[in-house]
Amino acid sequence: MAQTASTANQTATNPTGRPPSKSRAKYFFLSPAIFWILIFTIFPLLYAVYTSFFSFRFGRFNQFVGLENYRRLFTDPNLHSALRVTIIFVVVTVTVQMVLGFGLALLLNREMRGRSVLRAIMILPLFATPVAIGYLSITLFYEANGPINSVLRVFGYGDVPWLSNPFWALVAIMIIDIWQWTPFVFLVSLAGLQGLPIDLFEAADVDGATGWQKFWSMTLPLMAPTLWLILMLRLIEAFKVFDIPASLTLGGPGRATEVYSLFTYRTALRFFDHGYASAQGLLLLVIVSIIIAVLYGRIRGIYEVER
Amino acid sequence: MRRPMYLLLSVLVLASLILSACAPSTGAPAAPADGGATTTEGGPVVEEGQAATVVTAGELLPPIVAQPCEGEACFCKDKTVSVIVNTAGEKGPISGPFYEVRDEFEAATGAKLEVVEVPFAEHFPKLMTDMTTGTGQDDTSIAGAWWLGDLVGGDYIIPYDEYYNDTTGKYPKWEIEDVQSGPQDLLSYDGKKYMVANDHDGQVMYYRRDLLEDPAHQAAFKEKYGYDLKVPDTWQEFRDVAEYFDGKDLNGDGTPDDGLTMHLKVGGQGMFHFMSFAAPFVIGPDNPKLFWFDPETMAPLMDSPGHQKAMETLVDLIQFGPEAMMGWSLGEAWDHFLRGEAALTFTWGDLGALAQQEGSAVRGKTGSAPMPGTTEYYDVTAGEWKTVDGVNKVGNTTGGSWSGVISKFSDAPECTYYLLALMATKEKSIVYAYRGWDGVDPGRISHYLPPNGTNSIDGYVAAGWDAKDAEEYTNAYFGNFGAEQQFPYLRIPGTFEYWTALDIHLSEAATGQKTPEEALKATVDDFNQITDRLGRDLQDEIYKKSLDLQ
Repeated sequence: MAQTASTANQTATNPTGRPPSKSRAKYFFLSPAIFWILIFTIFPLLYAVYTSFFSFRFGRFNQFVGLENYRRLFTDPNLHSALRVTIIFVVVTVTVQMVLGFGLALLLNREMRGRSVLRAIMILPLFATPVAIGYLSITLFYEANGPINSVLRVFGYGDVPWLSNPFWALVAIMIIDIWQWTPFVFLVSLAGLQGLPIDLFEAADVDGATGWQKFWSMTLPLMAPTLWLILMLRLIEAFKVFDIPASLTLGGPGRATEVYSLFTYRTALRFFDHGYASAQGLLLLVIVSIIIAVLYGRIRGIYEVER
Repeated sequence: MRRPMYLLLSVLVLASLILSACAPSTGAPAAPADGGATTTEGGPVVEEGQAATVVTAGELLPPIVAQPCEGEACFCKDKTVSVIVNTAGEKGPISGPFYEVRDEFEAATGAKLEVVEVPFAEHFPKLMTDMTTGTGQDDTSIAGAWWLGDLVGGDYIIPYDEYYNDTTGKYPKWEIEDVQSGPQDLLSYDGKKYMVANDHDGQVMYYRRDLLEDPAHQAAFKEKYGYDLKVPDTWQEFRDVAEYFDGKDLNGDGTPDDGLTMHLKVGGQGMFHFMSFAAPFVIGPDNPKLFWFDPETMAPLMDSPGHQKAMETLVDLIQFGPEAMMGWSLGEAWDHFLRGEAALTFTWGDLGALAQQEGSAVRGKTGSAPMPGTTEYYDVTAGEWKTVDGVNKVGNTTGGSWSGVISKFSDAPECTYYLLALMATKEKSIVYAYRGWDGVDPGRISHYLPPNGTNSIDGYVAAGWDAKDAEEYTNAYFGNFGAEQQFPYLRIPGTFEYWTALDIHLSEAATGQKTPEEALKATVDDFNQITDRLGRDLQDEIYKKSLDLQ
């Protein structure tokens, strides 16, 4: 033990015999992370800010336009439509995913036959590539003889206009998103549930607590930090949704499924209006940052109360 | 309590299994195996997964035209020509012929041919990135004609007049005069040649000849509408025929079929339907060129009474097609017709050729004719409706007319031109036009039958065509591209953005989210916003130049 300490001491001295400055060593070890963040996060962010002050023509910088691109954010009805669609999408899908995912986690957190197999099957959709699912869904939601309408017909329901009706098209992309991401909520919730202290629940059983009382007064409060975290992750991801509407409906009919990211993608890579697209990206960043700030505050609040 | 839980789980598991194990059922389009786009944004291009699925490609091959080179004659030795083309594979539309010609081209020039396939949606952005950064990665792009506004405006491609006029025999000879006036105009811009002829896009009307010639239908139709059942000449007649056949069993499978079929999905190129459809409502003898903008102010004309009437009429027609077509791209709409499930449609030449392929239910039954017209049009220059003698018909070149352009940054422009000229030779082009799967539609005198052209019915029949189908098909295209009045093709910077706006608002009108009037008003607002952003004066200047209005 003494030998090890001595070796460590030797390693920590430089040729001058003096120990290296603590602060310098700190920067040395931090430098890869700092460079990484500077190159891949800060620089693109600053470049996006810079770009947002310019107009583009033929895909090239054209002229400085000041805050014009930001002014357009407030006056562009097409952007507002995309934002409205996105908010509806986020609220519905994340709510359903949270309820369904947590519910399934509660269900599969108990002793039952085939539990392991069911758990494995439950998370399968997570492994699917969203854009591939989107293209496959063209077949699934095909209105004339698609499998889903065929099944519905067997049960006596008429053909649902999945892709030709504005309402149902939005429902279709919501269904796919819910199908794909509910397992994520399920998986993380299940991990959280399995980490709950069993002795507390056993004590509650001894005290004669009902299932509902245990859920409401123990499971839910104890799971709250985990659930807020899942909610935050899902909200961030849901706001960025792109693949499924891009591959299934291309934002149509009309603009019924044109989500924010798809709108920004078109602005940048279809119309080459990079300045406006950058401003849109920054707006989304602000929205998502506000969500993170609010939810982080909530999570921190829970921990402070617990302390 | 436990049973509902198991039920819920079973439903979720079933959903997983359906998604992973589902195979396309009859009538449902197959998703592309490579994950490529099944839907596109603009331009009549048919990609894998989007092409009609009920027919299969034939084996007809174009002849070898170029002789292998030796020594100094191999002027492209050690050079590589990179062609960027929409993803469709070796037997796919537009891309397929490049694989066929590769050996011949390489042997004749000493160059290597590299075919770069990109999904349609990525083609233009990738090309523009290559151009704006000046990397010269792509020597040629098989481009949509509407890209010229951006490509010429940005000075990214070079004219090929010098190569075309070469008399030394260095390049394969093809005749630009062989291309009919409509599509020929698209090959040049501001007096210079930029696109080497390949595809010739334009929409014509297709109808079920067997149905229109059926005596029982003829009698019933006459009784209902008071005039003879015939090939529709006006959009009103088109409506009557569509209405009459809608709901009847048209292919003998015991289920009701549709009066017409269209593709109206956002990004499914529905705006081209509107362009071809609306042309005779706006263009006429006293207004041959103004459809999009007022050249004095660059104010959009899209909400004129003529455009509104066209939009109202088109939206009215939708009731005679399947509701699902609001979510259809090209492939689904074509499949519907090829299965014999629709009496009418109007689309590109691909459909006429695909109808001849194995698997088609309408071979020998597919009639073709130029697009119907109107009896009056709204002259935007005079601000009034004008009645015409007879029928006001307008030819169109709507679509991409996918043809090669030469990059300014290419280090092998001569070799690139050689490749494009080789594929443009009459011998090859004729075979391309015979086949449906290669995406090359007819538009040359050498594609047409006498007395319109120099081809022969024997050639088409040998290529697998029904003689009557071929005759009507080629005559329809000759009539369309040779029409005295032509729909003014838009070729200014931002064309795709303008068309996307129209596409989206057309979809809104078609699905009842907006009235036709509101949809066109929204289109005008979007057009104005795009024009202001790109520079009204500059856009105006280019617009005038593109229409030769200066």
